[in-house]
Amino acid sequence: MHDRSILLVEDNPDDEALTRRALAKNNIQNEILLARDGAEALDWLFGTGAHAGRPAAPELVLLDLKLPKVDGLEVLRRIRANPSTRLLPVVILTSSREEKDVVTGYGLGANSYIRKPVDFGQFVEAVRQLGLYWLVLNEPPPRPDAA
Amino acid sequence: MEMGLSLERRIQIGFGIAVAIIVAVGAAALRSTEATVSSARWVAHTLQVRAELEAGFADLIEAETGVRGYVITGDTTYLAPYHSARTTLHSRLAGLRDLTADNPAQQRRLDSLETLVATRLERLQWTIETRRTGGPAAAGPAVIGGRGKELIQRVHEVITRMEDDEGQLLAQRSATLQAKARLARLAAWTGALVALALAGLASVLVGREMAGRRFAEERLRLLVGSVRDYAIYMVDPAGYVRSWNAGAERIKGYTPPEILGQHFARFFTPEDVAAGRPAAVLHDAAAEGRYEEENWRVRKDGSRFWADVVITAVRDDRGALLGFAKVTRDLTERKRAEQALRASEERFRILAVTANDAILSADARGHITYFNPGAERIFGLTADEVIDRPLTTLMPERFREAHRAGLARYVATGEGRVIGKTVELAGRRKDGTEFPLELSLASWKHGADVAFTAIIRDITTRKAGEEQLRRYAVQLEAANQELEAFSYSVSHDLRAPLRSLDGFSQALLEDYHERLDDTGRDFLQRVRAASQRMATLIDDLLSLSRVTRGELQVGDVDLSALAAAVAADLHRSDQKRDVTFAITPDLVARADPGLMRIVLQNLLGNAWKFTGKRSPAHVEFGVTAQDGRRAFFVRDDGAGFDMAYAAKLFGAFQRLHATTEFPGTGIGLATVQRIIHRHGGQVWAEGAPERGATFYFTL
Repeated sequence: MHDRSILLVEDNPDDEALTRRALAKNNIQNEILLARDGAEALDWLFGTGAHAGRPAAPELVLLDLKLPKVDGLEVLRRIRANPSTRLLPVVILTSSREEKDVVTGYGLGANSYIRKPVDFGQFVEAVRQLGLYWLVLNEPPPRPDAA
Repeated sequence: MEMGLSLERRIQIGFGIAVAIIVAVGAAALRSTEATVSSARWVAHTLQVRAELEAGFADLIEAETGVRGYVITGDTTYLAPYHSARTTLHSRLAGLRDLTADNPAQQRRLDSLETLVATRLERLQWTIETRRTGGPAAAGPAVIGGRGKELIQRVHEVITRMEDDEGQLLAQRSATLQAKARLARLAAWTGALVALALAGLASVLVGREMAGRRFAEERLRLLVGSVRDYAIYMVDPAGYVRSWNAGAERIKGYTPPEILGQHFARFFTPEDVAAGRPAAVLHDAAAEGRYEEENWRVRKDGSRFWADVVITAVRDDRGALLGFAKVTRDLTERKRAEQALRASEERFRILAVTANDAILSADARGHITYFNPGAERIFGLTADEVIDRPLTTLMPERFREAHRAGLARYVATGEGRVIGKTVELAGRRKDGTEFPLELSLASWKHGADVAFTAIIRDITTRKAGEEQLRRYAVQLEAANQELEAFSYSVSHDLRAPLRSLDGFSQALLEDYHERLDDTGRDFLQRVRAASQRMATLIDDLLSLSRVTRGELQVGDVDLSALAAAVAADLHRSDQKRDVTFAITPDLVARADPGLMRIVLQNLLGNAWKFTGKRSPAHVEFGVTAQDGRRAFFVRDDGAGFDMAYAAKLFGAFQRLHATTEFPGTGIGLATVQRIIHRHGGQVWAEGAPERGATFYFTL
């Protein structure tokens, strides 16, 4: 279910639309699972709340940091703390360039940290490289449910 | 002198003993000689007695023989011996009586000898008469008769006994004489030897004493001569210099040839000479035996020195004045030191009196010994009220016990918790109110005792200030946190709409390209450019605010390597540019490496940017000296600037060039300035339009 999907955690509809557009422009066809806040992202991953009983197993998480309810760093911490999502690739995709956020993000086990450029052309390029790397080149960790 | 006297005494005693011994020996010798002479006389006497006796006996025998011849021959010439014997025998016997007058036994024998001789002579007379009258026949028996023979026999016996007696006397007297002579010889030799020994001893003693005195005199001369700290010299009664030592030469400056024979008045100041001091001084010294003063004296070169002068009158044994011994010491240094000390004491007194702080001293018991006006003001107590009172008077009740214990411990063990430190405590004013104070306590040894000095400052105002400062710090911290939250929010939330503006403008351009005319597309491009420019502004602002936050991470930074890395980045960013970087190697400074990178990125980036219209362009990074400090610089040969606007360069958002000419936000140099100021350095710029610019910074 939702095989090879991407979980996009993004509260801003504009950014969501732009991200979808950038993915589409790069021919990345993977299903996009959307979470509007940190809590919803955790529901998706652990099969709780609205997604009770059917946890998603996305190939990649694109995680914003500044989120309503549960913020992005806390989401990351929970992902890494849970055995079923411990190895899940998480790319932080955010506006912040604060060194504190970068250090904390990597410290909690983020796989990449990408700052969203204002220039949409640069953003498209960033998403292209991101998709190429994580969805094509990278050998994903073994899936917990398949093991 | 005591030593000399006692030696003289010893020599006198020695000579006295020697003389006594010589006299005794002489007397003994005299007596012995007299005894010898008298003994010799006695020997002669004895020999004379014996000679007389033998001669008498011979006379008697001769007389008898003559008589016998007369009897036989009748010739009267034979009677001559008889007649002479009668005279001689008489005188001989009288002489013997004289000779043996001292000897009763001999006198007695002489009596019987006289009788026997007389009897014999009578018998011979009778024989002669008988012959003359009776002829030889009658006289023959008389001559041959036994009676005559018997008489002679007895005379002979008496004489023999007397001779023996004299012989014994002679032996006795010879023995006595020999003994006495031996004694006299012994006495003479002993006396001579003792006298010789004493004379030798005396000569050794005198010689040694004289050598000692010569040595002492020489030593004294050398000693006085070599003393350099004192001028020691002599003047005669009239005041003319007669001797001069090394110290005198050093202190007064005259060599001996220059000064000997000169009058000592030249050592006095002209005022003293005018006042007749030289003569007065000698007069006093002569009258009192000694004169001492401290006064100014004059050196050869005219300079004055403060002298300690002692003049001693020198007199001979009879009290006649021989001159004066003068000892002078140069006390100028000491006088200066005393003056300096007085001045220093005065300075410190004024310091203590005028000090705003309380300055007080206490003895080992903790009793106040000094209380300055500052202390009076701070504690509201007068010095009279607290002198000799314990220090605890100045403390709130709760500190007193700890103070007493601390003082006792310090006095006993020398271990002090507050000595030599500055501590904050509380004080108690006269009215009982408390106030915070800062105490600096020092201790020193006052003879065997310990004493303390305290400097106390009323820090009520400072405490209030500190409290205020602390509140400000808390507020500032809160403001900083707010600012940080604000910055974070800015970086996130202000950028998101920009992304939308740019992204959807781009989407319009792509998806609705056909429906837009050129103007519409141009408008969308402007929207995109504006949103991207605003994004850059936000980034620069964040960067500026970031450099003022956080601790400086200071280390050794290789600025040359950093500049080279930045230059390489610039070359990569636009490989078409022809810019030569000249970087002085090995420029190392103590600074925060991250911030220095931002500084060089801005300065080299500016140089790169403003040389954009030059090809080839030159950029230099180096160091020069500025007021003794190292000033690093970045120099370019680009657009430069008008020095009239130099002051505006480092303000945020200030730009000297149009954005269309050179892009930029006007925040880079403001950031550089903040970083340099955070390092305690300075930054400034020099330039001229189209002649390039140079940016300097110190750290």
